[in-house]
Amino acid sequence: MAIIQLGDYIVIQRQKYTKLQKFGSLDATATLGKEHLELKSLLDQPYGSTFKMCVKESKAGKRGAQRQHSLELCTENELRSIRDVLNISSSGADNRDISDNGEAQSLKSSDIEQMREECNESSKIIEKLVENSKTFHNRTEYSQDKYLLKKEKKYFEFVQIRQPTIRLMADIFHRQDPDKIMGIRVDTLSQIISYSGISGFGNYLLYESGTNGLLPAAMLNSMGAGTEATLVHMHPGNVPQKQALLALKLPFEQQQRCISVNLYSVLREFYQGDKPEATKSSGDEEKVEAVTETEVTAEEQSEGFEPSSKKVKLESPNSNKAHQRWQVENKRAAALMNEKFDSLVMAAKEHPSSILQALLPLVKPSRPVVIFGTCKELLQEIYMDLKTTGKVTNLHLTSNWMRTYQILPNRTHPEVNMSGNSGYLLTGYTLK
Amino acid sequence: MSFLKPKTHIEQGDIVILYLSVNSMHAIEAVPTIVNKKGETIAHIFQTPYGSLKVQSIIGVEYGSRVELSKGYAHVLQPNPELWTQTLPHRTQIIYTPDISMILHQLEVRPGAVVVESGTGSGSLSHYFLRALKPTGHLHTFDFHEARADQARDEFKRHGLADFVTVYHRDVCNLGFTSELDGVADAVFLDLPAPDLAVPHAFKALKLSGGRFCSFSPCIEQSQRCINVLTKLGFNEICSMEVLQQESVIKTRSFPVIDLEFLKAPKSSEPNANDDSKTKEPKELKKYLTSSNPQVLPGHTGFLTFATLPPNVPKA
Repeated sequence: MAIIQLGDYIVIQRQKYTKLQKFGSLDATATLGKEHLELKSLLDQPYGSTFKMCVKESKAGKRGAQRQHSLELCTENELRSIRDVLNISSSGADNRDISDNGEAQSLKSSDIEQMREECNESSKIIEKLVENSKTFHNRTEYSQDKYLLKKEKKYFEFVQIRQPTIRLMADIFHRQDPDKIMGIRVDTLSQIISYSGISGFGNYLLYESGTNGLLPAAMLNSMGAGTEATLVHMHPGNVPQKQALLALKLPFEQQQRCISVNLYSVLREFYQGDKPEATKSSGDEEKVEAVTETEVTAEEQSEGFEPSSKKVKLESPNSNKAHQRWQVENKRAAALMNEKFDSLVMAAKEHPSSILQALLPLVKPSRPVVIFGTCKELLQEIYMDLKTTGKVTNLHLTSNWMRTYQILPNRTHPEVNMSGNSGYLLTGYTLK
Repeated sequence: MSFLKPKTHIEQGDIVILYLSVNSMHAIEAVPTIVNKKGETIAHIFQTPYGSLKVQSIIGVEYGSRVELSKGYAHVLQPNPELWTQTLPHRTQIIYTPDISMILHQLEVRPGAVVVESGTGSGSLSHYFLRALKPTGHLHTFDFHEARADQARDEFKRHGLADFVTVYHRDVCNLGFTSELDGVADAVFLDLPAPDLAVPHAFKALKLSGGRFCSFSPCIEQSQRCINVLTKLGFNEICSMEVLQQESVIKTRSFPVIDLEFLKAPKSSEPNANDDSKTKEPKELKKYLTSSNPQVLPGHTGFLTFATLPPNVPKA
């Protein structure tokens, strides 16, 4: 099992809640609601370990107490079913004698707060809550379970530290803010990977305008370590969003096979790369570099492209190395563009037509094309365009319906809430 | 050999997808001759609704090209698991791309993964597993039907995938996944009538460092029994779901717009002449690019149950 190290991204899980966090330094803390966790004791422990939250101090905050916790490694057998711990035996048949009059719990909220600070174990708190509840033993067994689960969720004092994977991150990102990953739901993400045929062989092309790195990370993950596959990842900004990619902590050789390039500058390199200016640069590097730099700045401004130009200016004082890096990446990408790709994936916030027009000729015949869109209308148009021109066949425009189930003895039903928006996929195969 | 990696030209022995239309594609083997029922070697001619194809003529052709049929044309595509799933010879019910994609994602299959699958069935899912785990992983796939296991083994060989897969003929519910596979699997997939019987074997096959589990079952009772056993054995993150894909039907449609305004005015004095001109005027048509849902679509495929075996659960 891998070991937790400084600089890692970690997934902190407390019951069903998960969160992606950078373990950047020994002073780093993570915030879970009102609880602040000191992360330093995670260092060098194996991933998958469970830690107990121990209250160190408690400050009065705007919305109740804010608690600072240290974390202590604990063993699995400290985690037991709350029902077994409390040894609950009696329960009622139905809820005819239970009314919501606010008098069921005889403990006051201040008593509970105090208990929370004094005692580290959720089972003790819940035990007290149950003892002081007038109605608990009249509730049905199912209702008792629900009560215990609800209380346990609130007072649960264990967190598990897990290594980020695409599955965990797709869940976290989508739960926290679907917009930040363009609303790509897990089922749609899984289908993008299938339909695009990403595997350990071949060269792949991705255009993506902001998914927190989730799409390139998922594709790179499917390309695998120690394989020959390469991904050219085009993005509209100067710096690609890479959080999910970094979190995967892939081996260096695998990271090297993700070539992240700016859409504009790589296409310029592709179309005009062998112009005399470029060849001169090998002779008198620094001077010409400075020239191309301002040229890029000016041109990209004229395209109404601010982020890139700003960044280039910022970098310019110590740019020699950085500058060469993006040029080298552009050259690598352009070489692959000349060879053509084994599939194309697009998830654009911009109108996809012009991007598709630029990228489709870079795909070999008989290869998959997968276009993700948040709304149907744009994909419908592209569907018609592609159908009319006959460049892509086997066109399908699809969306998904996904529903999770609660499966418990005698209590099986679909979950009450479901996501209604999977986004849309347009898929097909290129023709010669 | 055409399943191993992307390739540009059809070689002899490749499986090729002959694409006629969305609803009509065929997987054909690119060999110049075949042996007929009488045991004679004859030229390989493939019949389609658009006429026949002399299969020898497509050897050496670039994938994605148009090929002429005697009464029309078709395209030749390189097969992949998606196209194969739509054209493969059905020996059993198969699982389709939307469910399979979710299975691969949830089982976290990537190159290098060791996956145990039961049953092999028609090999639809196996091809996806193989694409995802090659070149460094391995698939162990089990079927209790001897002929199906043999056919699958033969198929993987012809598809160039034999190095990455071992096909077993074995009843896993009663006999388990063989002791050689104890503690080697990153993921176990079950598609069995009684998955609960195989869950303890899956538990044994998964690595001590933990792993992922999935069971596909059409009926929820199977999922219930399966979850019961999973819980007892210490699996967590148990989650059941259904995934259904909906296709949009895209069409440009024209809608006549009828004029009702003229009804507000009284009929004019020369009724006949005026009315005639009114009806003979071309009606206004409005054109839209529309999308609608198909009349019939899959309403249920199966329940997918996923679970995690956490690290270091004692297996004794």
